[in-house]
Amino acid sequence: MTEPAAKIPSTLTKSAGVRAVAGGLGLHGLMAVLSLAMVGPFVWMLLTSFKSYSEAADPAWMPQAFLWQNYPEVLRVIPFARFTLNSLMIAGWVTLLQVFTSALAAFSFARLEWPGRDRVFFLYLGTMMLPGLVMLIPTFQIMVHFGLVDTYLGLILPAAFSAFGTFLLRQFMLGIPKALDEAAEIDGASKWRIFWDVILPLSRPGLVTLAIFTFMGNYHSFFWPLVMMKTVDKFPLPVGLMFFDSERGQATQLLMAGVTMSVVPLIVLFIFMQRQLIRGIQIGAVKG
Amino acid sequence: MRSGRSQTRRLLTGLGFLLPNILGFLAFTLIPLALSFAMAFTDMDFFRHNPFRDEPIRFVGFENFAWLFGHPEFWHYLRNTFFLMLGLPFAIAGSLGAALLLTRVGRRPGLIPGALALATLVLTGSLLALRAGGMSEAGVWFVFGLTAVTALVAGVFTGGTIYRTLFYLPHFTSGVATFVLWKKLYNPQTGPINHALDPVLDGVTNVIRAAPGWFGVGLPLLAGVAGTLLAGWQLRRLRQHWDDATAGQVAVGFGAAMVMLPAGFLLFWLGLSTGLAAGFALGAAAILTILIVRRPRRWGPVCPVDTGLSAEIALALGLVPLLLLGAAGVTLGPALPAVAVTGIEPPNWLGDYSWAKPAIMLMALWAAIGSNNMILYLAGLSSIPPELYEAADMDGASPTQRFWHVTWPQLAPVTFFIFVMGIIHGLQGGFEMARVMTLGGPAGSTTTLSYFIYIEGFETGRLGYASAAAWVLFALVFVLSLLNFRFGNRGTND
Repeated sequence: MTEPAAKIPSTLTKSAGVRAVAGGLGLHGLMAVLSLAMVGPFVWMLLTSFKSYSEAADPAWMPQAFLWQNYPEVLRVIPFARFTLNSLMIAGWVTLLQVFTSALAAFSFARLEWPGRDRVFFLYLGTMMLPGLVMLIPTFQIMVHFGLVDTYLGLILPAAFSAFGTFLLRQFMLGIPKALDEAAEIDGASKWRIFWDVILPLSRPGLVTLAIFTFMGNYHSFFWPLVMMKTVDKFPLPVGLMFFDSERGQATQLLMAGVTMSVVPLIVLFIFMQRQLIRGIQIGAVKG
Repeated sequence: MRSGRSQTRRLLTGLGFLLPNILGFLAFTLIPLALSFAMAFTDMDFFRHNPFRDEPIRFVGFENFAWLFGHPEFWHYLRNTFFLMLGLPFAIAGSLGAALLLTRVGRRPGLIPGALALATLVLTGSLLALRAGGMSEAGVWFVFGLTAVTALVAGVFTGGTIYRTLFYLPHFTSGVATFVLWKKLYNPQTGPINHALDPVLDGVTNVIRAAPGWFGVGLPLLAGVAGTLLAGWQLRRLRQHWDDATAGQVAVGFGAAMVMLPAGFLLFWLGLSTGLAAGFALGAAAILTILIVRRPRRWGPVCPVDTGLSAEIALALGLVPLLLLGAAGVTLGPALPAVAVTGIEPPNWLGDYSWAKPAIMLMALWAAIGSNNMILYLAGLSSIPPELYEAADMDGASPTQRFWHVTWPQLAPVTFFIFVMGIIHGLQGGFEMARVMTLGGPAGSTTTLSYFIYIEGFETGRLGYASAAAWVLFALVFVLSLLNFRFGNRGTND
């Protein structure tokens, strides 16, 4: 339906030019409306977060007056800062560990020659197909056995290894010219030096992409913390937010203020990182 | 001798770099996998087998699986899982449409004066509305106008980057926050969705009151006939492009089922029981499939996978809405006179047995249109060689023809990747939505397989059943992945 705009003929008449402008405006208008549909729920979220308790039950979008105190109220009612800190800490550690272990494994798969390498790699790829649910219950049992239930370690460890990350970084590392490691090897560098000083700096876009993915996924993570964490002070944000939406009471305006505060860091992260992120997605899937 | 030693050295170095990952793989994949497999054949129960109350665990053979398969609830949840996956074609079409629009915007920069004029116009309009209507209601339109205009102006200046950002936003922020937000949006009393629907439905009621008597019967019949014609046309397209056996047959079977569904609805409407009507329709579809597939060889080969797939998705896209309309008409048609009297109430979305699943699918669609799939399509679109379009232009192809003969076949590998990954994800999906939005209800209508496994494993504590269900899920994913390798490799390597 939409291919590159047809070559504009040299005998461009005025009406054709007007039509092109009108078409362009129509297209942009359509895009603006579609964008509005995508952003609409967020607009409602933001507006509702300024409502009073009684107004929250009113379906009108606009608050009567903008009540900023809902935001401090969230911080007062639940340990929001603590939850955020927990989420950031868990996601941060998982990201650090996962990027590191994945980079090591990817280096081994992409830059080293060893017997059986490709077969092991396909085994790794195969584990990406395994539904995580199958492993969930026994992993929990293992956590119970080692006394890791209700600890940060129990949330961080299982997420610190990833076949997907290994795969993504391998794709990146395959694109780095072989001559670089050979030159380093002639200079007498060890494999570790090649990894640390040559390959790692060059795969920076891949590392950043994986870091964003991992960070986001774990910042959102709900299932595993829900199962593992018992102490309220150790809850990450997604689990903590559920306090505003429980059987005991509903505080829509506070919930929306909380959700807004939890989403804003992500949006900021995305706006700054989107170019790298999009390149990462494309390299990871299309070339594979 | 020397080479053998260096081989070992290399192996050790390679494995050395792999070591952390291998340890993790053993601890959190392989061992849990083995344990889970073992548990599926025991009567393990968290409340009987724990450190405080250590009863012996019994090996029960296939009892857990027998219990699952003999349990109507399990089939219900499996059906729910598949039902929610029906949203996939819409999500794919949405992502592709968004990518196509974005590509088009990206290639036509510079309409700044026009956009600014429009922006000024909309802004002035919203400000006037704001003044005229007081703050509360018109203020919303002001906010809408402002948002749209900001997007528009930014879009013109950035050549579409801002649209891409805004489209991707729902996917990026997805998670519990989205589910909580949509739960509130869907609230029948206080949510904005029904608030907006009320006047629309009043309008529809007025139309029904004014419509002639044959309307309720005629419309579903019309939808059924249109659906059948469309399906027949797609079947013809399929037959014209045959050259690869299995995929073509699958596509034909799908098409035949689509042809026969309206007939099934008709039978149902005429008073047959659901089972009988479905039986007749499916039987007829099977016969039709066999007739088409077992045709004489000289008629030509069966269609390749991309044509088969494209026909299937196009069919699903065109037909499912028509069929739904037909089905709605069939069930609602006779009730129309009563509706004209009472008026139409907006649905109770998440609180209603039949509306809860469509509500969840709608939300998932919102999040999926601008997802990674859109990004993949954008990459796919930019890698189509322009010569193909030039050649198509030379042959005087219309925009529609260019899409179906150049764009769509060139994107087939991307579509296939998205389709298969979507199926694998879909099979495992629905847990967080169910937990946050509906708790699996009402009456189990949004309980998917994954939520069922969670309930059995962590709430009722029946680990044996939960593991067995997880392995049924695993088997499903495995079979679909095999199909992926069988057809996907062929589609992408051509």
